[in-house]
Amino acid sequence: MLRFILRRVLSAAPSLFGLMIITFLLIRIVPADPAAALAGDNATPQQIAEIRHQFGLDRPIYEQLVLYIGQVLRFNFGESQYSHRPVGLDIRQRLPATLELTFAALLIAIALGIPLGVIAGVNHNRWPDFALRLLSITGVAIATFWFAIMLQLLFSMQLDWLPLRGRTGSGIMLPPEITGSLLLDSLIALRWDAFCDALGHLVMPAVTLSLGALATIARFTRAGVLETMQKDFVLYERAVGYPRRRLIWIYVLRNSVIAAVTQIGLLFGALIAGAVVVESIFDWPGIGDYAVQAILTADSKVMLAVTLLVGVVYTVVNILTDLVHGLLDPRLWEQL
Amino acid sequence: MRISRREFGALTAAAVAFRAQRAAASDPSVFVTGMDLPATLDPAQTLDVQATQWALNAYDNLYRYEGNPAKMEPWLATDHTVSPDGLIWEFKLRQGVRFHDGSELTADDVVYTVQRLLAVNRAPAAPFKPILKADSVTAPDKYTVRFTLAQPYGPFFGMIPMIAIVNPRVVKPHEENGDWGAKWLASNNAGSGAYKLLPDSYVPLEKADLVKNDDHFMGWADNPQAIRKIEWRPAKVTSTRVLALLNGTLDMTDSFLPVDQVERIEKSSNAHVAKNATMRLLVIRMNNTKPPFDNVNVRKAFASAFNYGGFIDEIVKGNAIRDPVPIPTNIWGFPKDIKGYEYDLAKAKEYLAKAAAEGASVKRPIEMHVQQPLEQTVQAGQLYQSDLSTIGVDLKLINDTFANLVTNSAKPDTTPDMWIHWVSAYYLDPDNWIGQMYDSRYHGTWKASCWYKNPEVDELLTKARFTTEQEDRAPLYEKAARLIVADSPDIWIYNMIEVCGVSNRVQGFKHCPVGSGGEVRWMHLSS
Repeated sequence: MLRFILRRVLSAAPSLFGLMIITFLLIRIVPADPAAALAGDNATPQQIAEIRHQFGLDRPIYEQLVLYIGQVLRFNFGESQYSHRPVGLDIRQRLPATLELTFAALLIAIALGIPLGVIAGVNHNRWPDFALRLLSITGVAIATFWFAIMLQLLFSMQLDWLPLRGRTGSGIMLPPEITGSLLLDSLIALRWDAFCDALGHLVMPAVTLSLGALATIARFTRAGVLETMQKDFVLYERAVGYPRRRLIWIYVLRNSVIAAVTQIGLLFGALIAGAVVVESIFDWPGIGDYAVQAILTADSKVMLAVTLLVGVVYTVVNILTDLVHGLLDPRLWEQL
Repeated sequence: MRISRREFGALTAAAVAFRAQRAAASDPSVFVTGMDLPATLDPAQTLDVQATQWALNAYDNLYRYEGNPAKMEPWLATDHTVSPDGLIWEFKLRQGVRFHDGSELTADDVVYTVQRLLAVNRAPAAPFKPILKADSVTAPDKYTVRFTLAQPYGPFFGMIPMIAIVNPRVVKPHEENGDWGAKWLASNNAGSGAYKLLPDSYVPLEKADLVKNDDHFMGWADNPQAIRKIEWRPAKVTSTRVLALLNGTLDMTDSFLPVDQVERIEKSSNAHVAKNATMRLLVIRMNNTKPPFDNVNVRKAFASAFNYGGFIDEIVKGNAIRDPVPIPTNIWGFPKDIKGYEYDLAKAKEYLAKAAAEGASVKRPIEMHVQQPLEQTVQAGQLYQSDLSTIGVDLKLINDTFANLVTNSAKPDTTPDMWIHWVSAYYLDPDNWIGQMYDSRYHGTWKASCWYKNPEVDELLTKARFTTEQEDRAPLYEKAARLIVADSPDIWIYNMIEVCGVSNRVQGFKHCPVGSGGEVRWMHLSS
């Protein structure tokens, strides 16, 4: 397993390096000039040129690239050209919120998607199957922002059950930061009030974000179950009277879920991307919204750092996905 | 699916525990605002509406704009004098003013602030750089600040409120590599304002808490129930912002509320809409160097093809004042006798015919860049597109961002055919609008992106800029405006009426075009 992990990490390094260079070049091709934004409404062209020189934006592109690579290898992502704050600091502050939201959405998608897929597959062409197919189409087709607003209207405005926005309520003293996840840190600090507050704020954004992923996982699980149910060993175990529940939830599921696990790895990237919209609507203080602000203000250092970060997270998740594959089916170790 | 009694009990307990807590918006001493936070808290680094609102609460300035119509009021300064040649300005400071750390604010602090502003060299410094150097500001005594300008400069006094005074005793210990404390002050506070930042509360662009400065020099006798705490909680999306106002978790939205939300808020029992005239102009730019816009009759045709009344009445729902001139209607220097261009498609066709006779035809599609995040620019573009098509002009709308458009405006060949934007008020002087939009010395900046060049106008605007008396400057701007309107380099639509959602418990809301009503010290909350 160790050799497998090492092989995976080494093969990911060139991809990440390539991602860094391509993103850098793409951002430089975009015409937006942060120097003009920094210089402001009243600046003359000379003043804009001064600021461009101050930030090294007038240097040849290859020189800027080499400087940037050197910084990144020292884990220095520079300063935001807009806010003058270290980009690394901003990301460290915001990343835990995005990861908490994304993992919560993934957990909901897996916890509901897999069982629903199994139920649909086992009840092929009966009403649970039809219901799931409808849910799958709806989950993929529904616009995230619309669903988010509907949840807000229902649970915040009408029923007053859940907070409308934000990650914490006013007046709640936050627990000491250990993991970055408010839920986990509250539990560690035995702070039930902070835990409830954090969970209440997390519910709607996580459910919104999970919808598309839930639909996808359910569909893939259903397809896997349908295929596995045709296999000889299932027919044999049914014929000899093996308990149905055990058969389905242990043997059929284990053989069916590999395709869904593959999807989970791919979905993680989609969830990070989808978090941008969800974070904006719910005022969730993550990196998604940070990235949007960077794009609108042409803050290239931030754009580069966030893109690289997403690439790293995506790579790690895919390595973990392959690991889980191997655990589910050890025969795959040799192939992976 | 069957639920056991234990499971039901757990669900019910969870529902009760998670029940939405009414935020501090129900606390009569805490004001929760949905205004955006600036990108940085350092007043020397960013110049936009958000930064101005922040500085109005956390910092003080020598003079300050108050009220609507805005007037300059003495603030840290009690009065000022100016030498007959307009070069030497002296401001007398109030005595006994204290920064948030308790140290006294003196003339040396003002000197430091101005030197720091110029050295940090970001947007707030740009208006001052032509006339001030580091040694231009001195302190002849403890309570007198002297500015010696490089040349007489008419807008200078109007720009004074842009300088927010910072405390060097707090900033200097945090300087790094000669940055004048810019990195530190981006996330902290060094002011003397009516409210002081709780540093641990600050998360960039997400939240900040400020508490009342009981020792503020203005005192609180005029507002004994002043707000004790400001919770700055920006809402990024209009729908969330409006819902939060309606359910009581926000006391005030920002002042860019879309007009289609006005009716919804006005129907609510716990909020209302505050409408106030501003000095923010909406302009459609035409690149005067690119054919066919290098022909004056083409430009006049386009100016006659925009449905000003329809746009203001139907799309903006009357929340704007028609302004046919590139100067706000409510400032000196506005030429009251200019009628401007009117929506008249027949006349537009006549102008096009004249242009065609001169060899300038509009056969190719014209590209108009709209600012995709700002819905009103898209709506204006769509309305315009529809009208232009009836006179045979093919207008293509291109979604873009302000940052891209600012960059593309640096050169005439990369500036789009047309684009649309607002020009906001940071200092109340006609130079902020007409001066920077139509003086060719500003070519290469987004404000001058029509690339208009008229030597007579240049001369008038330059003379107005370097004259000090308002009564001498006003006729110059009026004359320049007449010449510019005759040349029709752009399409001037309106002077905005700002629309802001305000909770009914907010009392004492005072709007000023500078800061868009974001100054909290005048407000209190009814229970």
